[in-house]
Amino acid sequence: MSVQAATGTYSPAAAAAGDKRREKREELRRHLAEDADWPRADGRSFHDCRPAFMQTGPTTAASGSAYAEFGKTKVIVSVFGPRESKKAMMYSDVGRLNCNVSYTTFATPVRGQGADNKEYSSMLHKALEGAVMLHTFPKTTVDVFALVLESGGSDLPIIISCASLALADAGIMMYDLVTSVSVSCFRKNIIIDPTSDEEAWQDGSLVVAFMPARKEITQLTLTGEWSDSRITNAVELCMDACSKLSDILRDRLKDTATLTSE
Amino acid sequence: MAAETEAAAAATASGLAGEMEVEAYRRLFPLAFLERHLRESVRPDGRHLSEARHTTIALGAVYSAHGSALIRLGETVMRSLPSSSSPFSPLFFPALLASRAPQLFDEMPSQAMLASVKLEVMSPPAESPDEGSVAVEFHMPPICSPLVRPGRPADVAPVISKALEDVLMSSGTINLKDLCLINGKASWLAYLDIYCLNADGSLFDAALISAVAAFTHLEIPLVSVGDDGRVFTVGGNEGKTKFELVNREKRKLALGGIPFSLTCALHKDNVLADPTSEEESVIETYITVVVDSSDRLVSIQKLGGAVTSMETVKECISLAKERRRKLIEILTDSVEAMEVDQTE
Repeated sequence: MSVQAATGTYSPAAAAAGDKRREKREELRRHLAEDADWPRADGRSFHDCRPAFMQTGPTTAASGSAYAEFGKTKVIVSVFGPRESKKAMMYSDVGRLNCNVSYTTFATPVRGQGADNKEYSSMLHKALEGAVMLHTFPKTTVDVFALVLESGGSDLPIIISCASLALADAGIMMYDLVTSVSVSCFRKNIIIDPTSDEEAWQDGSLVVAFMPARKEITQLTLTGEWSDSRITNAVELCMDACSKLSDILRDRLKDTATLTSE
Repeated sequence: MAAETEAAAAATASGLAGEMEVEAYRRLFPLAFLERHLRESVRPDGRHLSEARHTTIALGAVYSAHGSALIRLGETVMRSLPSSSSPFSPLFFPALLASRAPQLFDEMPSQAMLASVKLEVMSPPAESPDEGSVAVEFHMPPICSPLVRPGRPADVAPVISKALEDVLMSSGTINLKDLCLINGKASWLAYLDIYCLNADGSLFDAALISAVAAFTHLEIPLVSVGDDGRVFTVGGNEGKTKFELVNREKRKLALGGIPFSLTCALHKDNVLADPTSEEESVIETYITVVVDSSDRLVSIQKLGGAVTSMETVKECISLAKERRRKLIEILTDSVEAMEVDQTE
């Protein structure tokens, strides 16, 4: 079936979307030439994140789970464990963190494209590793599985934030909640929490995963063209947004806690 | 012999039960736990034996698909909040919005399925030039259950895919001719992908409800043909006048004889409708009955397990018919709810 999909079928939107895309690129180029603020497609200003909706507990079969929705981006993360490590694993004094990120086939406009983001699993692992107290569950494994239901831009940072909420929901000990935010750079402008369209035209991107209470960065990925001063600016912008996001996460956890105690 | 030890175990278990905490008892002696409930004609989640779980259907959960539906089975508390109290609308999990109200997103296990239909254009095979095609896939991602690990797909997933395809095709739900665009040149290939988000028993029933709901929600885009013979979508009023449209009429699939199913777990003389995964783990015999909207039988499956009398099968069929009536009501309500949303 997949062979057939590759050769015989195509998404009809692609042909017509070509014109629209060109238009959009032209528009962006015009804005950049004027060097002015331009309205973002969803009406935000450059330094506004999309409204964040986060909640714990969508997957009752898991030890802990969380759901995050930022605009069109929708992610579910389930945490299982601590449970027995795979037989093939060597003995280990500290626990293991096993991360996996997958996309639904309909997450992307073109079917099955989400499978391209193979590096996200290891990036999620690296972002969380520093925050989880691995010594509290020796010899066992905690599995963190993420499923992107729909991809609408800034996927990785949302997965990271959602995963740390799910870990907290599962009662896994952490030094701090990890939250993550990305920015895109367009010539002289920096915009926060880009959508997929904005990501497609960006000159550079920066993803920061941050532990706000400890003021420590667990992961920082920078790609594209950046100048020194703007990097500092962008990192500060991200850290600020991460702190705010962390407050939302804390509120969610408090909600759940008060409810269970009642 | 085996029955004896079982009975003895059950006896000790019920003796112990007084001293043991309920949760521990539930985990250590799942069968005895279930049987004690059944003796009182009630089930661990408080349902009657023949009662299916409360079902909700939300249409249009995924923007990137042509048709989609999220369904949940289980007592999820739905409490509508005034929209002003929330600065944004979590379209996807309306039930989750309720969790901001004091009465939270409950801890009751609930089954969740997300189905989407995505259309692509294909050249129809020579033997059926005027027909489209449907590709069904049922996914169990590792998030849905502790038993599924990445890289090792669940054994049941392909079984359910196949069963769904059989039911959808044999019941005549989808007329493949409706998916034709240009005879012999182009037709739709509908990818139906169903994701299980939380596995909690009766997977096939839930998958079938979500599949039917996603096809109900499906809206076929207007398309035209370019000079190169490729089909492209046409949006807006300007496009409608500029291009010659191929499918002005065929915008919705007319579903014929909508099938719905009910799985019953059989334990001794008890018939448990719509079992949860907890019940499925201790019971071995199931009957799955699929009926269409005019109460005709589409399929009956009883794979292995203990022997069953014809009476029990008949009981399952009548339960399935009852369930079918309820599900059609729920589906109609959800379609109306969506239309109200759109006009607002």
